[in-house]
Amino acid sequence: MPQTSLDYSSLESSSKWKNLPPPPGFTKSSSSLKTQSKKSAVSTASYDALKEKRAWDAAIGPAKSLPMQAFMLYMSGGGVQVFSIGIVFMLLLSPFKNIAGMNEAFAQYAPTSKPSNSIATLPLQKIVYILCNLLTLGVGLWKCRSMGLLPTGTGDWLAFETRGVAPEISLF
Amino acid sequence: MRLLASAVSFLSLFAGTWALHESDVGVVDWHKHLVGVPLSGLVSAAPSFHRSGDKSLILTATANNVLAALEPEDGSVLWRYIFDPEDRIIGYFKGDNVVATLSAPGGATLRTFDTITGDLLLEKRMHAPETGALSEPAHFGKDVVFALNSTDLYVLTNGCTVTKLNGTTGEVMWSWSSEDRGTKVISSKLILTPDALYAVGVGQSTASYALHVRTLSPTTGELIKDNGISSSIIDPLTQLITLSSSDPSKPIVLWLDKGTLRYFALTPTLNEKPRLMKGAGFAQLVNLGLNHLGHAVITREDGSSFVVKVDEESGYPRSIWEYQDSLIRTKAKSDDHTDSTFAGGVDSLGRPFVARIFWSHKMGKGSADVFAGHLVEGQGLASGYFFPFDTINHGIIAHAALDSENPAGWTIHSRLLITTTTGSVQLWEQSGLKWAREESLATTVIAELVEIPEKVASEIGSGVGDGFIARLTRQIADAQDFPQYLFHFVKRFVTGSYASATDAALPTSSSPSEGMTRDTFGFRQIIVAATVYGKVFGLDSSNGDIVWSRVLGLGWAEEIGGMIQPVKLFVVKTVSDGGDPEVVLVGQRRASNSLVDTVVFHMNALTGADITGTSVDTAILEGQDIIQGPLVNGFLLNAEKRVVVLLDEFLQVYLYPDTPETREVFTAASPQLSFPLRGNVETRQRIIGHKIPPPDSNHRPVAYPIWSLTLPDGETVQALLPQAAHGPVASVGKVLGNRTTLYKYLNPRLFVALTAVPTRGVCGVYVADTAKGTVLYHAEVKATSSGKGAGSGCDVKAMLVENWLVYHYYENEVAGGTVGDTVGYRMVSVEFYEGQKTDQKIESSDLSPYSNDTLNFQILEKAYVFPYAITALVPTTTKFGITSKDIIVATANHRIQSFPRRVLDPRRPNRKVTSEEAEEYLFTYDPLLPNDPRRVLSHNYDVANVHHIITSPALLESTSLVFAYGLDMFLTRVAPSNTFDVLSENFNKAQLVITITGLLVAILITRPMVQRKKLREKWYQS
Repeated sequence: MPQTSLDYSSLESSSKWKNLPPPPGFTKSSSSLKTQSKKSAVSTASYDALKEKRAWDAAIGPAKSLPMQAFMLYMSGGGVQVFSIGIVFMLLLSPFKNIAGMNEAFAQYAPTSKPSNSIATLPLQKIVYILCNLLTLGVGLWKCRSMGLLPTGTGDWLAFETRGVAPEISLF
Repeated sequence: MRLLASAVSFLSLFAGTWALHESDVGVVDWHKHLVGVPLSGLVSAAPSFHRSGDKSLILTATANNVLAALEPEDGSVLWRYIFDPEDRIIGYFKGDNVVATLSAPGGATLRTFDTITGDLLLEKRMHAPETGALSEPAHFGKDVVFALNSTDLYVLTNGCTVTKLNGTTGEVMWSWSSEDRGTKVISSKLILTPDALYAVGVGQSTASYALHVRTLSPTTGELIKDNGISSSIIDPLTQLITLSSSDPSKPIVLWLDKGTLRYFALTPTLNEKPRLMKGAGFAQLVNLGLNHLGHAVITREDGSSFVVKVDEESGYPRSIWEYQDSLIRTKAKSDDHTDSTFAGGVDSLGRPFVARIFWSHKMGKGSADVFAGHLVEGQGLASGYFFPFDTINHGIIAHAALDSENPAGWTIHSRLLITTTTGSVQLWEQSGLKWAREESLATTVIAELVEIPEKVASEIGSGVGDGFIARLTRQIADAQDFPQYLFHFVKRFVTGSYASATDAALPTSSSPSEGMTRDTFGFRQIIVAATVYGKVFGLDSSNGDIVWSRVLGLGWAEEIGGMIQPVKLFVVKTVSDGGDPEVVLVGQRRASNSLVDTVVFHMNALTGADITGTSVDTAILEGQDIIQGPLVNGFLLNAEKRVVVLLDEFLQVYLYPDTPETREVFTAASPQLSFPLRGNVETRQRIIGHKIPPPDSNHRPVAYPIWSLTLPDGETVQALLPQAAHGPVASVGKVLGNRTTLYKYLNPRLFVALTAVPTRGVCGVYVADTAKGTVLYHAEVKATSSGKGAGSGCDVKAMLVENWLVYHYYENEVAGGTVGDTVGYRMVSVEFYEGQKTDQKIESSDLSPYSNDTLNFQILEKAYVFPYAITALVPTTTKFGITSKDIIVATANHRIQSFPRRVLDPRRPNRKVTSEEAEEYLFTYDPLLPNDPRRVLSHNYDVANVHHIITSPALLESTSLVFAYGLDMFLTRVAPSNTFDVLSENFNKAQLVITITGLLVAILITRPMVQRKKLREKWYQS
């Protein structure tokens, strides 16, 4: 099955190496050259389907790693220590990092017909990806709360409470 | 905030392991071992020299109810015995190796002490204190004589009972009481001879007393003879004396009968006749304490005086020395010298010396004439000298004790122990002052810790209005010190020689000319202490030294005499106001004609100088008469300016200082002010709240009542206590484990009232608001049964700080309470919080006292079994109030101890703590407060009879100064949450600096190496 050998670089229309000439002494595989025109239409469609599948995998990727992260959180304990803080920071930061780099991450799965860096490509996968990342963030916040790091109680805001002067004072 | 709070509580977790380090003792604390002002008026209690073997010491009984022995060499306290307040010491009686005391009414208790060590050898109840006959003065009718060749004692008590005791076992060998039980005849003096024991006294006769002598058998106590001798003695205290010569079997009694001197030789059968001595116009017989050597001094009406001695051969008294110039004195009595004081002393060979001491106005010095009758072949030799006694700083000589010796030939070497009217005890060796003890410090009634200013490093030139060129040249001139400054900075940075929080609080470099300057952490402050002996002291809080002292002037009462009772002491200007701090002492002057005035003394706290400028520094400090009458109460208004507000008995308001500025400040503040006073309406006592109307130009404002709290019938107010500290409140709430908040009920107007109901045997504790009289808390505790009389038996100590009330009492009835059903001392910790549950807030600190919400609060309280009786109870105070507040108590066993707030927390649960409670560092309630000996701040010092403790913040937030005074004085520092704001002692700065320098050097060396390597890699490998 030499045809199914993954030669992604040849698939990508945008590949910057596509138009490079072969190194001296090398020629393009003659067999692929022969079948290229015949198979291109079929393979583009199937590759697009394949890419979409892989995009779905990437979209739910953060959710898949959640059990592992939950276990790590459990192991790191409830105390405020370097280790648990490190994990919590990772949990809190990675969703934002992921969402910020979402377009680049999904660019490789973009169908050939669509611009690879557009937000509108693979919308469903991207929404699921965002949701999954928010789930990770939620887990991180839950951990913060259980560690007492979220200012949710009145006690956390006590320092900002001010009192005026007493309307009446005692001389005593 | 939470982080800070948790940091503080986290640190306080280790407080259990905190303890006073041995190395800190004497460095961070000091202790003044005092005995009190000697009772100079009573012969049997006044100071005297005593020789026991070859050891010489000074014995005295003092006004603080102490019997003390002082070392004549340096004035240190050899030993002291502190009597209970209800067990007043009457006098001490010297034996060879023992000293005996009689105390309590009628001489109910006899004690004997080892003279050298002060060990209590014997304690014996002679009669029940209730049956003691009260006499005026207290020592009249009590005497102790020691048997000649055994340890037995003959004790005269109540003026009518003579008891012979075995001195080692205390066993009564015999006891004899007169039939009239002292109603007709009061014996005052015992004389022991081998044949008889004479009880010399006086019997009542019309308008005078008559001499009365009883003779008892020393072995059986049988009455041999009971005779009155017809005589007329006006004052038996100064006109009756007994003397015995070298032959102890022939004692005589001398007395003054209408200005004539009579004597009577005592024989067991009293068959001698009274005889008359030549001369007339005698005024007084002065007891020198030389009765056993037959010496006394007799003064005449004209003021002259002479020494009288019992002649060894005839056994009759004769004059042996007439004091010179005593007649001249009378002609110019007021402007030459003062009345004389006489003292007698015995040298190591048992030879008597007599001294006359007076103040010479002409010389401006004290003068002493010492007479030794045995010198110059029995002719007698007198030696006179002057000593530079400082009458301005020490008042006048109230008493003198003499210790003389005759080292060779015709020289007399004398030591005088002088007690002054200001309570100073001084030992003069001839003309030189050897040591002095300011014993009036033992009578300090009020004291204040005053912060002192920082040392001014350099005077900044007056460059306010100068031009550009001038400023530039000045700055260039200033900059010439810059290299030096930089060098010092680097040096200090590298060596790390910073002030340490556990060092003695002395400034790094201080010359005496600079005066008092504070240390780095503000541990050095001035303690201004006012005593009842009319003297004010400024003490250095770093070592207890007296920095300055001023004698308070009596004003117009100077002529007739009187005393100044200090009532209030206010700091009217602090360091933060700029300049030297100032204090105002408010005193009540009680003149001898019973007029009472209120006087104000305004002093510089650093030097004691009069701020008003009327008294110079070298003279007596004269005050200003503010109120022509007694003071009802005085307050300090702490507004933009500190103003002292005084109230007279008509509740008229007086301000001090009274300037237009202070009046303006007061007018602005007066609508908000209120204060409570106690009052009586018919039979019932009330606590009445008052307000002050705004002053108008014509009249003084008069405070008017706005509310009154009528107490039930029979309930009397014992004390109204203000809040212990008005310091800043760091946090308005307490954060719980689940991060909800209990908001503190912070009412700045709260005060505590302690009451007593003698009829029901209970004591009351009230917490009320001064503006409206709202009672927030009321508890009744059982009175102790030991007390007698109205109001006593209620010995409740309380303190209120922020929202925390602590009170201490004695529970003598088991009521199945929560604290283990035990009889004993209790400490109750009460906390007030806003709302009925957590997170409810009413913003109580700025709530109007008339708001409905004022009663919306909850009380949490817990009682604990406390290990001791206490005499004072205060919280620590710190600069910003962040540090947790420990309580400091003075216990009745002479210790100062701290108890952490954590153990007194009323939220301690009665079960195992949950994790949330553990987060708050709560632990399971245990009725018994841990009595950790490591928290005894006074470690092994004996800090006796403390009646006040004051705490003062240092510059370090973590540390509070604690000053306890009573009989003794004690100062230390406490850090309730440990010294979290300074680097720990074992912080190794050198290591840090070396590490950083090493890293720097390593970077400097390796950076070019790495750069070279990188370059090479780029060149060859890519």
